[in-house]
Amino acid sequence: MTTTEQTPRLPFSRGNALEIAPDYEALRREAPVSRVLTPAGDPAWLITSYEAAKEVFRDRRFGRSHPAPEQASRISYAAVQDGPSGDFESEEREHKRMRRMLAPAFSAPRMRALGDRIAELTDRCLDDLQAARDADPGAPVDLTDFLAFPLPVLVICELLGVPYEDREKFRGLSERIARMDGGEDAQAAMTEFKAYMTQLAEAKRADPQPDVISDMVAVQADDPTFTDDDLARMGAGLLFAGHETTSTRIAMGTLFLLTDTARRDRFAADPEGQVAQTVEEILRLTATSGTGLLRYAHEDVEIAGTRIARGDAVLISSDAANRDAAVFADPDEFDPDRTPNVHLAFGTGAHVCIGANLARTELRTVFPKLFERFPGLRLAVGLDEIAVRTNRVAGGVDRVPVEW
Amino acid sequence: MKITADTDSCVASGQCVLLAPGTFDQDEETGSVVLLTDEPAAGEEDAVRQAELTCPAAAIRLAGA
Repeated sequence: MTTTEQTPRLPFSRGNALEIAPDYEALRREAPVSRVLTPAGDPAWLITSYEAAKEVFRDRRFGRSHPAPEQASRISYAAVQDGPSGDFESEEREHKRMRRMLAPAFSAPRMRALGDRIAELTDRCLDDLQAARDADPGAPVDLTDFLAFPLPVLVICELLGVPYEDREKFRGLSERIARMDGGEDAQAAMTEFKAYMTQLAEAKRADPQPDVISDMVAVQADDPTFTDDDLARMGAGLLFAGHETTSTRIAMGTLFLLTDTARRDRFAADPEGQVAQTVEEILRLTATSGTGLLRYAHEDVEIAGTRIARGDAVLISSDAANRDAAVFADPDEFDPDRTPNVHLAFGTGAHVCIGANLARTELRTVFPKLFERFPGLRLAVGLDEIAVRTNRVAGGVDRVPVEW
Repeated sequence: MKITADTDSCVASGQCVLLAPGTFDQDEETGSVVLLTDEPAAGEEDAVRQAELTCPAAAIRLAGA
């Protein structure tokens, strides 16, 4: 390392909630694959170009496990995406089992069936939003409190079979496991989270229900290699990923629509007609990760002319890939007419987000309903006053104060 | 335009079904892609092209115009 040119260290800071850090584009201009330091200070490769990101996502020579975990680069001091996970020898087999187990619950037919229920839950959240406004008409209402947080939580609770009354408990746990400087507290929260899931699984074992945790318990009965710890970890992962990411997208999508009144009015004039494309553009532009998604090279691999050695950490920045001008014209512009819009918000390849259809179904329900009900919705503060959470694995914003 | 879908490489993402529900479906048990027709359903030509582009497993192929 020379003193004149320091290796850039993640996470990068950005101007406001709707932008991404300019460092990504600066790095991509140099090369699609860059040397960086992780938030924990260890070396990693950062992928910033669309083509290289797609290539790594689809290349089976990359995984989440590490051939020698104790030597692996550490990403952060959170308890998710912090380092290697799973077993190097059995990762692919385990992953296939997980996909097979979960695929039916997240399938498109199941999502269609869930659509009406999501619509009903959305209406209920919007009633609460209105009630909060009526209670104190002069004060702005925080959209995250009444819609962006509760809706995905209600939905994932029903799907997994988790009691909604426990939301503050797992909201707290989710926040603690995902703090990049969480350290011992993040690990303690993960232990607590798994104990909570184990307790839930016990209850389902005694009294199975039509939900994902019951499905997992049933699989476990036939497959003793699927341990209680595996089940607890997977359940906690689904609960965390299932609410935190969609919450962020609802908050940020609303911000994208509200920061430009013409854009809002255009959408509000024909929400149903525009929602599919608008949601894809929200997915493309929303920056949700301070680090990108983590992989380790399982053998020596060459990506875009860069040799990546077995065991090296690779961070795939979908945020950066989705704004690669080589693929998306005027990449920072919000353009719901963009077609095709083949973004990498859910990743791609064998590990593509299993909740992608669930997320799309929720987002396609929530934005039309929000703007049919409140076509004159506006931000109650300036965009610069909305703090960005840079210290969280899933990024996001703390609040979206609105009025109408 | 003739569509083929490779169920072996399919990763059950279901993106094709959400895009073109008249052309694709998903097996309830395995999540694997089910072709309802080997030609795009009426009005779904663009959506089927988008499905080919976005399929995370590159399991959907289109041949011909």
